[in-house]
This record gives sequence, structure tokens and C-alpha cells, in this order.
Amino acid sequence: MKARNWMSCTAALLLGTVGLAGTAHADRLATIKEKNRLVCGTQNASVPYAYQDATTRTFVGYDVEICKALAKGLGVELEHKPLSTEARIPELKMGRVDVVAGAMAYLPERAQQVDYSLQYLQGNIKVLVKDDSGIQSLADLNGKRVCASKGSSSAAIAERVLTGSRVMTFQDVASCNLGLQSGKVEGFTAGELVLKRFENESAQSGSPTRLLPEATYVERIGVVTDKGNPELIEAINGVLRKMDESGELDAIYKQWLGEDSVYKLKRTFKVEPVTTS
Amino acid sequence: MDFDWGFLVSGNYAQKLAEGVLTTIQLFGLSWLGGFFIALLIVGLRAIPFKPLDRVMRLVVEYHRNVPTVVQIMVWYFGMPQLLPDSLRLWINQGQSEFLFAVVALSLNVSAYFSEDIRSGLRAIPATQIEAGRAIGLSATSVMRYVTLPQALRISVPPLLNRSLILFKDTSLAMVIGVTELTYQVKAIENLTFRSFEVFAVSTLIYLGCSLLIMGLGAWFGKRFPPAFKG
Repeated sequence: MKARNWMSCTAALLLGTVGLAGTAHADRLATIKEKNRLVCGTQNASVPYAYQDATTRTFVGYDVEICKALAKGLGVELEHKPLSTEARIPELKMGRVDVVAGAMAYLPERAQQVDYSLQYLQGNIKVLVKDDSGIQSLADLNGKRVCASKGSSSAAIAERVLTGSRVMTFQDVASCNLGLQSGKVEGFTAGELVLKRFENESAQSGSPTRLLPEATYVERIGVVTDKGNPELIEAINGVLRKMDESGELDAIYKQWLGEDSVYKLKRTFKVEPVTTS
Repeated sequence: MDFDWGFLVSGNYAQKLAEGVLTTIQLFGLSWLGGFFIALLIVGLRAIPFKPLDRVMRLVVEYHRNVPTVVQIMVWYFGMPQLLPDSLRLWINQGQSEFLFAVVALSLNVSAYFSEDIRSGLRAIPATQIEAGRAIGLSATSVMRYVTLPQALRISVPPLLNRSLILFKDTSLAMVIGVTELTYQVKAIENLTFRSFEVFAVSTLIYLGCSLLIMGLGAWFGKRFPPAFKG
């Protein structure tokens, strides 16, 4: 009896929250223009996308620059809001942020909940091998052991893509790197940025490693809004296209991921819909 | 936003949740049993009238009571393997070591509280009972085994139940080292589908349901084995 009361109370509370969140609103773009302010969310501790700079105590990163450029492009002021991973979507759904540039890759399931702009960044899942291993392509990994960090998306993707390899999951990327160096595994798969750091490190330590050029998966990353804001998405797309043409996007890329960063990546992606592959 | 449960049955999300619940229950069950036996051990050792031993046990209890549980879990998972040689460490890291370390950390953590609860129960037993036991020729351990401890355990049911509920919720902390328990699965599903409200609501209901079950079990036990006398 008592238990049943509790249950219904909790259910009512939960449903109440959702009811509030479900309040319908007109296109967000009008509100943004009216308030003259874009509330743009990013991750809060994700190098090099959005993190707190140790010396200046301000949030910096690729996504923060995108937020600034979006506000400028829309002709409004920026209110930057760093968000924890769990809070990203609820904040968007509750309307406390207008858009999120949170290095969020497109997935069909996700697109049922939110709308994606054109892609403003791509992330590659790659494989690191020892330089002297003679492995040149993903196909060469057939019958070889490949390590991924436990529970990561790289692990799930490796099992789908590298069907001929034995995918082993270690507790974290550092263990995988240790496994690669000590010959327990022949390949190590993770996000390109993570691998790039290990590659740089290994060159200095005297047992060099090398990234395979092919990616096991390409993550297509777009700016995200709540469902049903076609005008806002169109406006964001317009700004992104302009940034692409003016070279502003190139400059941001160069600073955080390209030549001027530790990663030294080359920009290969185009500003295009996240859904085309 | 519409509240849609349909997605749970499409795809393998319901299965993931079920796996998470199972892991959570295993984690809770094993940690509870481990914690209970370690607690009895601590209580027994502290009953020995030997000051240095009592001080060591007190140190153990104080560590586990005063350091955040999540830190204890991380110390076991990241700290302990560091003390081992590289080859052994790699071997450990290949297996499902995180579950084992989580059980060890949670057992030790809850044992500190359990032992204090049981000791409180022991203090409720009149000292004359111990004297009477010794007078009829029982050894000190037999007095503990047959006279004081059974009564103390019955007296300690409410605080033990209290702590058990906290232990159940603490299993979610094992997520930080990658144990795929309920909260881990919920976050993974949320990250894949962005259906934050639905998945967190589901997990709330599951945790609530399990907690109520534990409370029911505790209430039944308390009725079935009432304390011998009520102070």
C-alpha cells in the first residue's frame, strides 16, 4: 500500500517534469533574435573541443570558436554555456540552451531527438600499428590482434569493421598502448586525436608507431538544435557555409587541430549534410 | 517532446538494460555477502582484548568510512595493478578485472559500516550475560558465537538494512571504472539515442523497485527474527 503510493508519486513527478519540457514553442530563431542573444552549449572538459584553459581560466577550444562564430554570424551576442555530457540533451530539450556545438556525431537514432546542421567537423576512428610491422592497410590486420579501450565506440566499430581481426578490449587507452609496445597486440584502435598523441610520443621514445591512413569509421559532427527548428538550422547552415568560404573555418581548424596544434591534422572534410556518406 | 517508450523494445536497448540490472544485482549481492563476512571478522578481532590489534582494525574502519567510496573504487582499480609487474598487469587488464575490483572495494567499504552497526548491537547486550556465559564454562569465543552475536545481529537489523540500501545505490559508482551495471548502461543508451528523460525515468523506477524489494526483505527478516528483548 505504502509502496504503491510512493510509486505513483514518483511517476507523477517524472511525468510533470516531462510535461514542462514538452511545452511547444515557435521557431527558436525568432526568440534568439528577439533576445539578441545566442545561448550556445559545448562540452566542459573535452580537449581540444571545449575546456578550461589553465592559465586564463576561460573556456577555449574548437567548439567554443564555433559558438563565437555562430553568434557573430547571426548578429547577436553570445552566451557560452559549458555542459556536462549528461546535461547536453536535457538542457536543449528544456530550452535552456539554443544550440549545442558539442562534438556530437550524427547517428540516425540521435536524429530522432534533435536536428543536425551541416557538418562542421569530422572525427576519424583509426588504427595505430608499429612502424616496422609492415602493416599498410586495414586488410593487413586480418588474423591480427587489435586492441580497443573497453566499452568505447571504437571497440564496437572495430568488431563490425575489422571482422577478420581479433578485437581485444583493455581497460583504457594507456593499457592498449602498452600492449602495442610490448607486442601483445598488433593494432590499437581509437579516435584519431588520441592515437596521434601516442604516435608523437612513440617517435620520441625510440619505438615509432604509425597511423593507418584508412579510417574504420568517420564521425560526422554537426551543430545540434531541438527538434522542429528548420529556420534556426537554416540560419546556422548559412553561417557555416560563409565561414567555410571566408576561410574562417580553416583558421579555427588550423589552430585547434591542424598545423598550430599538437595534432597536426589536415582538414579533409567539406561543409555538407551529416547524412550523406 | 513526446514521452515514448517504444524505442526500448526496438533495438537491443531493453536487453542492455536487463544486462545492467543483472550486473547491478550481482555486484550488490556479492559485495553484501563479502561485506557482511568481513564485518563479522572485524567485530571478532576487535573483541580480542589486545590494544594494538584493535587500533589497526579501527584504522581500517576509519579509512573506509572517511574516504569517498568512489575514490576507494578507483584506488583499487587503478592503484593496485600499478604495484604489480608489467606482464601481470597486462594480463589483469585483459580480463574483466573491473567487476572484481568493484566487489572488493564495495565489500571493504560496507564492511566498515556493518561492523560498527553490529558492534552497536553488541553493546546493547547486558554484560551480565557474558559473565553468566563464562560462569557456566563457555569460552570467550563460544559466548560470542552462541550468546551475544545472535542477539546483537537481531538488534542491528534496522541499521544494517539502512546500510544495505546505501550499498545498493553505491553500486552505481562502479560505473567510473567501466563496470557495465545499470547506470553505465543507462548512460550508454542515453548517449546513443539522446532520449535522456525516458532512460533516466526508467532507471529511477528500476532503482526504486529494487530498493523497495530490499526494504521488504529487511522488514520480513526483522519480523521473523525479532530481538530477544526490547530496551
